[in-house]
Amino acid sequence: MSNLPADLNERIEGLIGSDRVVLFMKGHRQGPQCGFSAQVVQILDRLVPDYTTVDVLSDASLRDAIKVYSSWPTIPQLYVGGEFVGGCDIVKELMATGEIFETLGLPAPSQNPPKIQVSDAAAAELRRLAGNAAGRDLHLTIDARLQPGLYFGPAEDGDVRATVNGITLSLDPLSASRADGASIDVRSGSEGPAFHVEVPGAPQVRQLGVKELKAMLDAGEPLVLVDVRTPEEWSRARIPGARLIDEALRAELERMSRDPALVFHCHHGGRSQRAAEHFLALGFRNVANLAGGIDAWSQEVDASVPRY
Amino acid sequence: MALRILSSPPPEPEVIAERLREAIEAALSGARASVTPRGAGHFELEVVSEVFAGLSRVKQQQLVYGAIAPLLRGDDAPVHAIDRMVTRTP
Repeated sequence: MSNLPADLNERIEGLIGSDRVVLFMKGHRQGPQCGFSAQVVQILDRLVPDYTTVDVLSDASLRDAIKVYSSWPTIPQLYVGGEFVGGCDIVKELMATGEIFETLGLPAPSQNPPKIQVSDAAAAELRRLAGNAAGRDLHLTIDARLQPGLYFGPAEDGDVRATVNGITLSLDPLSASRADGASIDVRSGSEGPAFHVEVPGAPQVRQLGVKELKAMLDAGEPLVLVDVRTPEEWSRARIPGARLIDEALRAELERMSRDPALVFHCHHGGRSQRAAEHFLALGFRNVANLAGGIDAWSQEVDASVPRY
Repeated sequence: MALRILSSPPPEPEVIAERLREAIEAALSGARASVTPRGAGHFELEVVSEVFAGLSRVKQQQLVYGAIAPLLRGDDAPVHAIDRMVTRTP
């Protein structure tokens, strides 16, 4: 159907076949360079955990070629399962009519209240907070990557409500369809007690022992070892092969493919746990926290790394 | 006296509209297209053709965009955007 040179044609077919959902856009998923591309990213982010974006601004020949290939004059362009779906207007229309779920092969969002558990401790704390929330609803959100959010805010049209342990939770229909079996508890952390929402099927940060990490490094397993401590701590002691986090490394990680294994470490494992959870929420599937941190490394693996 | 070279004036919107109409009717057999200019480089299209039968709206629009692609291509393309496109069967 297209009048493209064979090499460009083949290249585009390769890109379209590289993932179930492929978006040709200006910029990339974390940094759209045009409002129309940003709108489609925003819709897809709500619906699918992983998809591939192709930045047409980085390649002028591709930008022209995709227009010819799709017989479509504008960017962005969405492909699902190898089929052209449309541009921004069409994706928005599919979202508005609800047809997008069928297009993407997703179950339709639920209007039934999901089964959620709220522990007594969490219920007591939520009741206390609700006293200051001036009649606003308590919202539970669960995004496409099954990462939870909990906040007080105004009621929204279409919200599904679930009452558990005297607490009423409001969920948008998409979150409701992902919330069955979720539980809310209070857990103590290094910064005091915090709400913990467990979502069934959500990817977890793996706790990695220092000896296990040593074996992985020795075996040359592909992984990025990220040190999230301060530059001052880094100057005192470091694990060979680790990279100290800074703005540049953070930007590099956010832009790269979600496949490589990431291992985070700090002094004892508290700060790195939060960093690991952050990158899990960004869609990395293989994320580990070094249990015991560099202190355990000094004691169990390499005594030449000073303790502090 | 210096010789002045005049570049050719840009085509009138009506002229471009006619080229759009011809391109669509040549590519889609039996199609009838009406084209309305809407400001510089912007147009609205209404296309009636039997070839649209049984096709999704996106597929119908792809057929039309494919037909007019040469007029949309490049930085100095005569057509910048199709603001609105209606496709239907007779």
